[in-house]
Amino acid sequence: MVDWIGLAVPIAYLSILVISLATFSSLYRKRKISKSASLEPWFPPHLQKNIYLSLLHLEPSEGSEKPTRVPDSVLKAALLRRATEDIHRLIAIRNAKGALKTLLARGSVGDDLGQRFDRAEKEIEDELKDVVNEANAFAPNWGQTVFQSASEMANNNLIRARMAELQSQAAVERAWWDKKRANTSSEFMKELDAAVEEQSSVSSKVAALDSSSTSSRTGSVAAPAAAGPGRGCDDDAVIVEGGGPAVGGQGSARKKKAKK
Amino acid sequence: MADLEAQETFIQLPIQIDPSTKAVTSTSTSSSTALDAELKSLNTLHRSLLALDTPNSVPPPPVPVNPKRSAQIGKLRDSANSELRKGKHADAIRMYSLGIEMAQGRPPWEPAGLVREELSALYSNRAQAHMGMQAWPEGAIDAECSTELKRVRNAKAWWRRGQCLVEMGRLDEAKEWVARAIDFENGEQELKTLLEEIEKKIESKRR
Repeated sequence: MVDWIGLAVPIAYLSILVISLATFSSLYRKRKISKSASLEPWFPPHLQKNIYLSLLHLEPSEGSEKPTRVPDSVLKAALLRRATEDIHRLIAIRNAKGALKTLLARGSVGDDLGQRFDRAEKEIEDELKDVVNEANAFAPNWGQTVFQSASEMANNNLIRARMAELQSQAAVERAWWDKKRANTSSEFMKELDAAVEEQSSVSSKVAALDSSSTSSRTGSVAAPAAAGPGRGCDDDAVIVEGGGPAVGGQGSARKKKAKK
Repeated sequence: MADLEAQETFIQLPIQIDPSTKAVTSTSTSSSTALDAELKSLNTLHRSLLALDTPNSVPPPPVPVNPKRSAQIGKLRDSANSELRKGKHADAIRMYSLGIEMAQGRPPWEPAGLVREELSALYSNRAQAHMGMQAWPEGAIDAECSTELKRVRNAKAWWRRGQCLVEMGRLDEAKEWVARAIDFENGEQELKTLLEEIEKKIESKRR
């Protein structure tokens, strides 16, 4: 005969133990998953990928019934842009990996960062496979070369952006140099002026009489003249600007021009 | 599971395609600048894809390079060099600029290393032409571009920017620049001479 009442106590004990352990473990796992899901992704949203997929699933435009047909060439271009962004991300991941592993081993950064990184690494792997598959769907064997092309595109974009950045400095440098030269030449001319002060004071009186009637006209003429010589015949500019108090005004006018 | 979902979901962007020009544009009025910029480069890339005559019209692998453009760029550089030798600096600058434009206009999937090589030579020579016209700021910028593209075995470009900086009276900057150049160029004699000159000038200025 089995003693049911005597067995009830250990069975109840065991079942309570198992149930509580199971609840704890499931709760703990759920929390861990939700925590890792809520972790900030390593990279910002993949704009190029979103564009590519949006183009694949393009909604029919207003007024027409059938969905808009996106030509293959546009999709190929979008896929190439996506692959280029993947190259940037892949490089970023590879560069970060060594340093991050060292920091993690030392305990300098938290486990969260490690988890985020692992997820990003896995995502980029899947992403690369996905792009290769898509490329092969467009043209046989394109998958083998699509990332070669994308890598060159990424590098070329870098080169072009850097060159544009450097060349945009040219106008600023030119303006600075013109201003500096105007200043030094006006200082030089001032020294000369000091030497011939008597003569100039006489002539300036005459000029002042003259300019009261024509100042507005000369002002309008001087502005384009100041802009012109900056590029071509530099010597003229020096002589014109050396004339006297007009130098400061012209310099600032040119500065404004350069800023536009 | 979570990864699979992340793979399959995406953000549907407010974009549309022009049926006739095939240009992709954003439909939302308050669109982000990032999206607009991206669509612009997408359309540019699309146009260069359309110009392709390869089978399936996908970009060919980076090598071998289509020799046509290389030949044109080479020709422009050679004629510009001969103009420079004749002392026609303005003409030389115009031709170098054309060559630079053409090198930058290469289809983006062609080897970036080749673009670097071509551009650095063109920029370096244009810097020389600018220096011939005493246009120091432009010369300095072009020489900097050249060294940015090709750091080693580019002593001429390093020297040219140094010289331009000296001409503009930016001696401290020039000294720093040439010292860096000597690091890269492993003690090129001309650079050393220039550095000595700069140091002399700085000395005489202090006195």
